[in-house]
Amino acid sequence: METVALENPLRAGLRLGRTPEPCTMVIFGATGDLTSRKLVPALYNLARERRLPGGFSVLGFARRDWSDDFFRETLLEGVNANSRSGPAEPSLWASFAEGLFYHRSSFDDPSGYQGLAERLAAIDAERSTGGNRVFYLATPPESYAEIIGQLGAAGLNRSPNGGWTRIIVEKPFGRDLESARALNQQLLAVFDEQQVYRIDHYLGKETVQNILVLRFANSIFEPIWDRRHVDHVQITVAESIGVEDRGGYYDSSGALRDMIQNHLTQLLTLVAMEPPVAYDADAVRDEKVKVLRAIKPIAPADVARFTVRGQYGAVSVNGRPLAGYRDERGVAPDSQTETYVALKRFIDSWRWAGVPFYLRSGKALPRRVSEIAIQFKTVPTMLFADTPMHDIEANVLAIKIQPDEGITLKFGSKVPGQQQIRPVTMDFRYGTSFGVASPEAYERLLLDCMLGDGTLFTRRDEVEASWALITPIHQGWESGPPQPFPNYEAGTWGPAAADEFMARDGRAWRRL
Amino acid sequence: MTTLPSVDISTIERELGQLWKENAAEAGGQAVTRALTLNLVARASDSATAEAISGVVQGLTASHPNRTVLASLRPDDAEPRLDAFVQANCLLGSRGAPQVCGEQITIDARGPAMAQVASLVLPLLVPDLPVVLWLPGPAPFADPLLGRLRGVIDRLIVDSRSFADPARELSEMARFEAADHVGPGNGPHAPALSDLAWAELTPWRELAAQFFDTRVLLPHLRRMDRVEIDYAPQAGRANVAQSLLLAGWLASCLGWTPLEDALSQEGGTLRLHLRRPAVNVGPSAIRLVTVELRAVPATAGRAGIAALHMRALDGVTADFSVELAAEEGMALTTAQVAGMTPVRRLARCERQSEGELLAAELRLLSRDRTFGAALRAAGVFAGRLG
Repeated sequence: METVALENPLRAGLRLGRTPEPCTMVIFGATGDLTSRKLVPALYNLARERRLPGGFSVLGFARRDWSDDFFRETLLEGVNANSRSGPAEPSLWASFAEGLFYHRSSFDDPSGYQGLAERLAAIDAERSTGGNRVFYLATPPESYAEIIGQLGAAGLNRSPNGGWTRIIVEKPFGRDLESARALNQQLLAVFDEQQVYRIDHYLGKETVQNILVLRFANSIFEPIWDRRHVDHVQITVAESIGVEDRGGYYDSSGALRDMIQNHLTQLLTLVAMEPPVAYDADAVRDEKVKVLRAIKPIAPADVARFTVRGQYGAVSVNGRPLAGYRDERGVAPDSQTETYVALKRFIDSWRWAGVPFYLRSGKALPRRVSEIAIQFKTVPTMLFADTPMHDIEANVLAIKIQPDEGITLKFGSKVPGQQQIRPVTMDFRYGTSFGVASPEAYERLLLDCMLGDGTLFTRRDEVEASWALITPIHQGWESGPPQPFPNYEAGTWGPAAADEFMARDGRAWRRL
Repeated sequence: MTTLPSVDISTIERELGQLWKENAAEAGGQAVTRALTLNLVARASDSATAEAISGVVQGLTASHPNRTVLASLRPDDAEPRLDAFVQANCLLGSRGAPQVCGEQITIDARGPAMAQVASLVLPLLVPDLPVVLWLPGPAPFADPLLGRLRGVIDRLIVDSRSFADPARELSEMARFEAADHVGPGNGPHAPALSDLAWAELTPWRELAAQFFDTRVLLPHLRRMDRVEIDYAPQAGRANVAQSLLLAGWLASCLGWTPLEDALSQEGGTLRLHLRRPAVNVGPSAIRLVTVELRAVPATAGRAGIAALHMRALDGVTADFSVELAAEEGMALTTAQVAGMTPVRRLARCERQSEGELLAAELRLLSRDRTFGAALRAAGVFAGRLG
């Protein structure tokens, strides 16, 4: 099914990688927010950067009664409002929009899929897309099973005339181990694993990819990347916004499902994995799965020791009231859903045994910031008598993912003229070192899928292994007493219990 | 005997140190990063060029903060004079305070004092950083500064778009790349070479290469019979160097070799005759390729390459073309194969400033082998032309 990249002699020495084969991307749920806010702006920018071939087409599939023209207008508005390169350039947009089409159907109507097959064949003929297709599930997850089944029934899981067919599945991929397994079974009854691309947009971020470059393209970090040198690791993904208009969805999900199961677990595996034997989809994912298998599960009975939950409450900032989580639209007034979670993980491997990995994520925190901090051990003995031992801070290597992508290293330095040691940082910022704007995560991921590279997508065993670590925590929480929610004010760094949780281990959260 | 003026190196360094202190004070406690990634030595033969170079160098700070040593030469002045100035080139942070800074030393040399410039440049280079020599304008290979610095520099950057005698200078450039003469800076330590005219070809190469990333179109690449390259005058004069490089690139990538009688010329059109490797077995498999370089009027006032057509005429006809569109900064690409619907699209092919081209070439850390191969092929054509 996968295409082999044949040698194109004109490619040698060009900095941009090869362009994918012309194909049609069918977006299910094309009238939704994701399509106009993220997907089409990403595709337009790829076209703008000359990364897409002539003939590339998009076919929107949704229930609303839209025309091709109305679809194009709506997407143009989406690009104008959301593209990182600013409003669309009219002539370039006109050329790109010639390949945008809309197909109206409900997701459960077999004739709609026959119609889809006919439209795809027509696009193949008109735009030379060679039977190559990407199906993108951008619908609410309840519709996934229906669409997958209908695609199979209509024979759209295989391409005509030697082309390829791939399917991208948006998050959330299940809500527990059981539902993730069921979704995998439904997918794999129709598609081969090689055709399936489970998206986690965190992996499309440049700094996230840079974790592997930092670790495996430098010789100075890897020798100290283990239990002998690392005291602990902190991974933070903080959001300053509340749940906004996602209240209904979020209330049935919570921070553990929404952030920890996917994004933070991905960051954890990239930091902790062994060097892969090659930089390709299976070698990298094999190593990530090994980390997941080595993570010690938190038994339902142990959740109180290894996890902290929080939910934000109303507060007034400078006289302006900020709504609490339970006041948000779509949220139950007595909701027990966590908007903040912190947990401690151990990895039972030779490299990491005994090193705690602290993960925290929350909504309505003071800043939007994501980072991974590797905290090294302190020096074994104090050489400089004038400085009290506890004044020496441990070295910290912080990998900042957003908003200012970069890497900082903290180390002790002498204060000029005094017998004093003060921590200073070496700072590397993406923005200032490379005068180029990083592409959006979706640009990278959509292009990779079209090129048939699954390295930055989640494999079946990976998604199931990560749910297997999450579900027992939910079970433990559900069997315990209700929480005294809300327990932190919007705009603070989470519940007091989270600080006590670290203090029990003699550690503290980094001030971000 | 005239006493030549002199400039004191340690004074220059002291002035630079002072400049950094002032910058730090201006930044109001915020860290100012002196981030130097390379030494850039540039030569200007008149004040307009010197100003243009200063402008380009300031723009480079964002991507390649560097120490620039600008040799501003006035050979025609009778009075020997030698002056030096220092300045910091800073990228402003969010609050308007300098954040990342590079530095520039301008050496103003007039008349006979010019001979001293090379000896001044050497001690001003920051140790352990690559040295790049940028010689804009015609006749870079005859430049005395290149002669003096050849053993020191890691990369030489020229611009064949400004060559006065394109064919002859392109041959010279090919010889330089091959480093086929004796002296320091040859062999494995020969400086790498960059040509801004080649850098300007990047979007053309990308757009041409993209057709053949598609499986069904790739086989046609080996079947090309005819290539046409249209080019518009550079600064009012026809300059075939860049089109020869583009033709040389296709020839080197596809293994086309020039025939004995490789060249014919007719008015503003130059034809190159080549042999392409066999696609199938048998005598009929060996075929000839004609590459036609045509001087045309500029599209929307844009100099340089205006169109590239690649055609297979024998058997299934196939036609691949990239041509500047009426819309500013855009090119129209068309793939037309008999029996298939033609595929057209508009793609960006923006005009790039000298600074952007320079920055792109500075991103290269090693020798550009694709350029080397293209230049060698172009040098063969140019040699026969001259």
